[in-house]
Amino acid sequence: MKVAVIGLDCAAPDVIFNKLKDDLPVLSNMTRNGVSGRLRSCDPPITVPAWMVMATGRSPGELGLYGFRSRVPDSYNQIKIPTSQDIKFDTVWEILGKRNKRSIIIAVPPSYPPKPIPGLMVTDFLTPGKDKEFTYPPGLKNEILRDFPDYNFDVKFRKPEKKQIIDEIYRMTDTRFQMAEKMIKEKEWDFFFMVEIGIDRIHHAFWRYIDESSHLYEDDKEMRDKFVSYFKMVDSHIGKMIEEFDDDTVVLVVSDHGAKAMKGAFAINQWLVKEGYLKLNGGIPKQGASLDDLDVDWAHSKAWAWGGYYARVFLNVKGREPEGIIKIENMRSELDALKEKIGSIRGPNGEGWKTRVFEPEEVYPVVKGDRSDLFVYLDDLNWRAAGTLGYDTDYLLENDTGPDDAVHDYDGIYIMYRKNKKIGKVIDSNIFRIAPTILELYRVRKMYGIQGKPLEGVDYVE
Amino acid sequence: MATDKKYTTVSLPTPLFEKIQEKIKGTGFTSVSDYVTFVLREILTHGTDQEAFNAEDEKKVKDRLRSLGYLD
Repeated sequence: MKVAVIGLDCAAPDVIFNKLKDDLPVLSNMTRNGVSGRLRSCDPPITVPAWMVMATGRSPGELGLYGFRSRVPDSYNQIKIPTSQDIKFDTVWEILGKRNKRSIIIAVPPSYPPKPIPGLMVTDFLTPGKDKEFTYPPGLKNEILRDFPDYNFDVKFRKPEKKQIIDEIYRMTDTRFQMAEKMIKEKEWDFFFMVEIGIDRIHHAFWRYIDESSHLYEDDKEMRDKFVSYFKMVDSHIGKMIEEFDDDTVVLVVSDHGAKAMKGAFAINQWLVKEGYLKLNGGIPKQGASLDDLDVDWAHSKAWAWGGYYARVFLNVKGREPEGIIKIENMRSELDALKEKIGSIRGPNGEGWKTRVFEPEEVYPVVKGDRSDLFVYLDDLNWRAAGTLGYDTDYLLENDTGPDDAVHDYDGIYIMYRKNKKIGKVIDSNIFRIAPTILELYRVRKMYGIQGKPLEGVDYVE
Repeated sequence: MATDKKYTTVSLPTPLFEKIQEKIKGTGFTSVSDYVTFVLREILTHGTDQEAFNAEDEKKVKDRLRSLGYLD
């Protein structure tokens, strides 16, 4: 038995199972004949940590990873970007490696710098550049750049030149799949796991062309067709891979989170200033600026926030932050008061929001590493959080740091499929079940403390 | 495992040993051990144990993440 995981970053149930299903013959066939469903992501539903939750079966709290940055202790906004060295638990390919299984691992975040594994590894989009060692073994890099000189880790999508961006994303994804197919064909492997980041970039940059409910919706046939042809290309590559797999290979197509239309960005630090939690020498600036570039009066500030697809709110605690002012014994009452205030923020027209505010301990039994005091999903993630401030209003209908159409949604997808098996079951599940499923398919019984259970439908493909 | 011995023995599958023997014929490598030591040294010094990012790399990645909207 072999397992091949094809990760489509941000692939959304409504796009794959509904809107585009007639355009995607391979994925539709896999859905019809396999076991599939919605895959609830972790909290927060973000690329880092979600792929590592899938690869290790550990929660973000155990991993100590809550997004693309961690705070350097004793600082306010000094940040550290997570790397492969921050992953302190074995991934499934490392567990399988101990059982003499060889893996091909491509672009699973965060995997830079590459760690030695029994098999082959190409690092992810957090790789600084092609001049770096981005493969294991090192010689694989030359092979890749010889065969695919245009190989790219990522594209920048937050710019207005939409047609150019979609072509760039298309080429990046097409090349990565060609490379993956070549490795599947030519290299020796027992386990395969790749992640394609292009789907996420396509969703963020082009959601407005496929979602009529979005306030940014544009009825542009050319762009919609490009969106669809991108997915058709992905679908046909998955088809080519399946042709290469034998009947004993279980294929798992998975995504780390979903997507939905962005309603806007809420300037959370500006709101904290107005509520008296954050003090700036010189007041709110005249135009959008990052907190890093402003003169914060920390000695009179109780809280500040980081923006993104979810907001992280930190209290300025005496003895913990460099100029903390909230006494540790008052933290509980301050947290409760702030939670209530954030929870009652209303929309731009006074409409109620379904904002979720919680402390990490409320969702994870173990909370390691740098974590914010509060996690905030503004209006159930429909609004992203802008960390910048200096606007006429707290409600920005366009994103503050360049065009963005989509926000993250809780549910991604999974499709578990094996050639020549006709199953056709739909069972919704969650991301914590993926690592246990992989181990179950290889009959690994020692779970190393991994808590999750295999996907309910695993018996059908075995 | 401290030892005074300068060399120790590792096992290779015989077919691999023979492949290497064939490969190093006429090259500067005088033995399979020589070649294997060279290749392993190369791999181990090729950045698998280094600090993840130098300052310039870190800036590059942060700028990219900022432009992707993850560091707003």
